[in-house]
Amino acid sequence: MNDRATLDRAEVRQLFSEYKGAAENDRPELRERLVTQYIGLVEFLARRFRNRGEPLEDLVQVGTIGLLKAIERFDLEREVEFSTYATPTIVGELKRHFRDKGWAVRVPRRLQELHLELTKVVGTLRQELGRSPTVAEIAKAAGTSEENVLEGLEIAQAYNFTSLDAPIDSEDAGSTSFADQLGSEDEQLANLEYRAALAPEMAKLPERERRILYLRFFKGMTQSEIADSLDISQMHVSRLLNRTLIRLREALEV
Amino acid sequence: MSPARQSSPQSRRPEKKGTAVETISIKIPASPEYLQVVRLVAAGLASRLSFTIEDIEDLKIAVDELSAYITGPHGRSGTLAVGFKLHGDRIQITGTGEYTESYDVRTDLSDFSRMILETVADSAGLSSSDGTPGFTITKSKSS
Repeated sequence: MNDRATLDRAEVRQLFSEYKGAAENDRPELRERLVTQYIGLVEFLARRFRNRGEPLEDLVQVGTIGLLKAIERFDLEREVEFSTYATPTIVGELKRHFRDKGWAVRVPRRLQELHLELTKVVGTLRQELGRSPTVAEIAKAAGTSEENVLEGLEIAQAYNFTSLDAPIDSEDAGSTSFADQLGSEDEQLANLEYRAALAPEMAKLPERERRILYLRFFKGMTQSEIADSLDISQMHVSRLLNRTLIRLREALEV
Repeated sequence: MSPARQSSPQSRRPEKKGTAVETISIKIPASPEYLQVVRLVAAGLASRLSFTIEDIEDLKIAVDELSAYITGPHGRSGTLAVGFKLHGDRIQITGTGEYTESYDVRTDLSDFSRMILETVADSAGLSSSDGTPGFTITKSKSS
C-alpha cells in the first residue's frame, strides 16, 4: 500500500480516530502514517524559510516537530481541516528555531563581520558627507568591492527574524520606550483601511518597531533621520524596518 | 556589477553622451525565494546610477512589495519577468507575471501597501494588460 497516496478527508479522520484510540504499542506506526500523509505540508512551509542560511532538510526536521505536536493536540471534535490546524504550529516551530539560535550561529561569520563593518563605515560616512553614502563611497571607505557592499546590505533582508524579541546585536538591547507618543500613532495606523488581519499584527509589534514603521511611512522621515532620532545606526533602522515588513506580510499569509 | 571594460573590445552600452538608456531584463521562477534575486539586481543597477544606500533600500522595498503582491505568498507556476531601464538619474522597473496557469489577477493594493509605495518610490503600482499581472516602479536619485 502506498502510504504517501493522499487520503481523502474521511480517511484522514479515520486515521486520527484510530491513532487517538490506539494502544501505546500501536501508536508509533499510526503516527508514522499521519506524518507521511502531511510531510508535504511541512516541506511546503519549510521552503518559505529557505533563504536564511539553513539547509532545507534541517528545516523539514524542525517543521516535523511542529507537525508531531499538532498531531498530538488535534481534536477530532473540531470541524477544521488538519492542515489548517497544523500550519500555525509548524510555522511557529520554524520561527522559534531561528529565534532561539540567534544571529551569531545562523549567519555565516564572513557575512556577520561584513555587516558590522559596513554599519561602522556607513555611520562614519554619513557624518562626513552629511547625507547617506553611495555604494561606491562605502566600497572605497571599507576597502572592499561594490559587490560585497551590496551583499552586505542584502543581509539585513535575508537574515531577518520574524520574532522581534531576540537581540541581534548589542544595539538591540535596551530599546527606548515611547509609550507616551504611541496613542496618536496607533490611532493614525488604525485609520488605515487595511484588512482586519493586519490590525492585531500591528498591535503585536514592539514599540520601537511600530514607531519606526510610523515615522517612515506616516511622517515620511528618512531612515537616517529615524536613526538619529532613535540614536541607533541607519543600517539598524533598515534591518528593523525590513524585518517588520516581512513579519507583517508573513502574518497575513497564514 | 562593474563591467570588465578592459577585456571586451567594445562596450555593450552605447556610449552616447547623456541620453544613454540601459535596459536589463531578468526572468525568475515566480516564487518567493527568488525575489532576493530581483532585489539584488535592482540594488546593483541603482548603485551604477550612484543612488545612495537609503534610496537603494527604498527601491528594494518597492520591488519586494510589488513582486510579492503579484506572485502571491505561495508563488505561481511560471516566471516573473523583470525589466530595468536606467535613465541617468532615474530607474524604471517593470514586472510581468508569465504564469502557466490562470489565476485571479489582483488589481487593488491595500491602503497599507499603497502608503509604503508612495513613501519609497516616485511612482509605483500594479498594471495589468489583458489579464497579465504586472507592476511598474519609478524612482529618481534624491540628490
